[in-house]
Amino acid sequence: MKHSVVALTVNGAERQVLVAPGTTLLDALRESQGLTGTRRGCDQGACGACTVLVDGKTMMSCLLPVETIDGATIDTIEGLTPMEGLHPIQEAFLEGFATQCGFCTSGMIMATAGLLARNPDPSREDAVRAISGNICRCTGYEAIIDAVLDAAARMRAAKRDKAA
Amino acid sequence: MEKIDTSFFSKEREADLFVVGESVQRADARGHVTGQTQFYEDVTFPNTLHLKMVRSTHHHALIKNIDIEPAMKVPGVVRVLTHKDVPNNWYTILKLIGVGPDDEPVLPEDRVLFKGEQVCAVLAETEQAALEGARRVVADYEELPPVFDVEEAMTSKPFKQAGTNYFVYEGHNCRRIRFGDVDKGFAEADHIIEHRYESAPIEHAPTETTGCTAKPEGSGRVTVYSNTQALYFTLDNMALILGVPFNKLRLVGGTVGGGFGGKVDVIVEPIAALGAMLTNRPVKYAYSRAEEMQVSSPRAAERLYIKDGVMKDGRIVARKITLYVDAGAYCRHSTYGTTKAAAHMPGPYSIPNVHVDAYCVYTNRTPSSAMRGFGVTIGDFALESQMDQVARHLGMDPMELRLINAYRDGDTKAHRKTVEGAALVEVIQAAARQTGKELAPRFAAMSSYQREA
Amino acid sequence: MLQTVATPGSLPETHALLSKLDGARLIAGGTAVMPTLNAGTDEFSSLVSLRAAGLSGIVVKDGVVTIGAATTMTELADEPALAFLQSALETIASPTIRNMATIGGNLFVKQPYGDLSACLIALGATATVSDGTATRIEPVEKLVASRLGPKDIVTQLAFSIPSPGSFKFVKAGRKALNAAAIVTVAAVVSVSDGVVSQCRIGLGGVAECAVRARSVEEALTGNPLDRTHAEQAAAKADRDIEPFDDSHASAWYRARVTPVHIRRALVGE
Repeated sequence: MKHSVVALTVNGAERQVLVAPGTTLLDALRESQGLTGTRRGCDQGACGACTVLVDGKTMMSCLLPVETIDGATIDTIEGLTPMEGLHPIQEAFLEGFATQCGFCTSGMIMATAGLLARNPDPSREDAVRAISGNICRCTGYEAIIDAVLDAAARMRAAKRDKAA
Repeated sequence: MEKIDTSFFSKEREADLFVVGESVQRADARGHVTGQTQFYEDVTFPNTLHLKMVRSTHHHALIKNIDIEPAMKVPGVVRVLTHKDVPNNWYTILKLIGVGPDDEPVLPEDRVLFKGEQVCAVLAETEQAALEGARRVVADYEELPPVFDVEEAMTSKPFKQAGTNYFVYEGHNCRRIRFGDVDKGFAEADHIIEHRYESAPIEHAPTETTGCTAKPEGSGRVTVYSNTQALYFTLDNMALILGVPFNKLRLVGGTVGGGFGGKVDVIVEPIAALGAMLTNRPVKYAYSRAEEMQVSSPRAAERLYIKDGVMKDGRIVARKITLYVDAGAYCRHSTYGTTKAAAHMPGPYSIPNVHVDAYCVYTNRTPSSAMRGFGVTIGDFALESQMDQVARHLGMDPMELRLINAYRDGDTKAHRKTVEGAALVEVIQAAARQTGKELAPRFAAMSSYQREA
Repeated sequence: MLQTVATPGSLPETHALLSKLDGARLIAGGTAVMPTLNAGTDEFSSLVSLRAAGLSGIVVKDGVVTIGAATTMTELADEPALAFLQSALETIASPTIRNMATIGGNLFVKQPYGDLSACLIALGATATVSDGTATRIEPVEKLVASRLGPKDIVTQLAFSIPSPGSFKFVKAGRKALNAAAIVTVAAVVSVSDGVVSQCRIGLGGVAECAVRARSVEEALTGNPLDRTHAEQAAAKADRDIEPFDDSHASAWYRARVTPVHIRRALVGE
């Protein structure tokens, strides 16, 4: 069984990843990159815990064989976290009590990042749609939806401040 | 956040509450939002073996033969564990608190009692090799008729190596409550109202599946990184199964990616630790999503028959309950859950004549176990549905019916315990107020401190 | 056990690998193939990915839209000429899955998934199938039933953009979003002189593959598009479907509610 070397840009850094045939992006991130913030919940694209951004779009990393995405740019929860403090989405989730066990949180936050990149001013319905592929068994979702909208407001405010 | 209503029981409040009723940030939330919280699967070791389980394809069958040779030929497969490898092959979760019997083998010897039951474990260098090894094991079965219904199981042929299809509570085939004389109560009652209530098993479906990694240490200990909700339970049961002193095992955990009671069954840890001890390599045993949904213990299905004798004025004078808990194939926590179910009957009401039979029954379904208030939740659904049925039958307001029957401090419960700290009356009054419902003065004046004359 | 994953850069290269590799299976978005691989499988031992084969993109010309088979659902939703499909696309899985799942792959996912195929049937879409030496054009309704030969690759799909307001879609699932189909109904209905002059109806979730509701179409054609006639026509659907039991709904339930959802799709009530 021949392994392959795949080039990925992971959280801004160029990486060469050695993978066995069919290794998922999820396994590559967790096992060879040590980026364990991306979680495994189902290995079948049903729970969203492994959501990352691939070339700026949210994708389930458990459904991507690494050999098929040579050259892709990957952003994970670790890359979202700034050098100091937290990203506005993280702040909104933290302050809005949008986490309980924390297992779905990385995926929820990356799904939110994907939404806000496309749509900086989402409606509540947009927020619900954006996380409709992410399962949370603890919160009942309301706090998470509130946090998505709060994150959007924080990011718009930050953009206005920067412009001013 | 809703503030605590301190208007009730003000005399009983001796201290100011500083945290209750306030919003306090979770200690682990920052780790969650940055992805830095460490779950068991985030700790990895070089040279780890992956464990995949061969599972029963039948609900009920005798095992004629297990051929592991084809699995051993798969490149990367290192070893296959069967019951012969397990030092003490009984998995009896409540053994340490004196609850038997030994009814569930860690790995089965001669029979499988539910579909998806563990048969043998394949250890391999990679997950894919372990999966292929598990597909290659050839298990021959002689299929036997399964039983899926609790009442059928009570009278059908016992399917375990020993014992009955129901748990025996101190010589009785059920957990019993006898208080007053229900037959006399029914004879006196103006109305007899009887209904059947039933629930299906409920899976917790935690986002993180059940799993662990067992790592042999240079010291001769085995460290197990686990997402169990019950670290000490797990440690003790592993020690019993593996036949080693407690101090040879170390459990690391406490961070659970969703549990809800679904991660208190000690299933993966003993086998992973056994594999680690026999190969001297770290062994990881993690359920797939399909395994989590199919074989991890759900909340038990229950069936309840509730028969009430009720007076025209709403007083319930007799309540007879027959309750079946579907334990699935093995005891696990269900014997305890059934006792809890019995203890919860006949609900928070003072009823002078009560008769409860609570059966813990085995069927060829996935063993059930703990889940958020197990033994109580489904019983409450049935009891409160019954209260609504009674109210409807009498044409009475359901809140008023409950207030009439609610227990008060000093009442004697059917279990012959004296009620203390009752608050049902006040809770219903508050619920009425919050939903804009006006209670008649007689009901608004009721109190848990004493029964009105 | 999987031995190879290849990501060819062109269609001829894809054909060559598909013939050369043992136990090869095509993979597009991966949303259906990868769960099988992750669970362990003997169904295939090589994967040939269409991700880099140059099969994505949308061309709209003279009212006809041609879509590369590896085009994702999100790319479809972003195409202004396909705005009429937007609400149907939003019922399919989640935005994250729609960023991965492709129009070609959707033809072959196991029911009760594959709502887009029901839409394509209603639109009278055709698929271009290449076997490496020749190409042929097949109606989608035929292709989803007959499936592909071992050398076949669907390269593109094409259909005429329906006149405004003529595309209708209803999906019944267990949840508002990200639900598998209990019943999916897609229809293109043309009305002239007060009666239905032409219609095509695709159904999902009610047979082994997405199917065309020909009996309903026949009963509807020539009649006014109102509740009474829609109901009468929808009642014929039992001849077109072979529903199944699964965790979402029973066959009985699917059969019972299919006419209701056909009526709702056709007349909105």
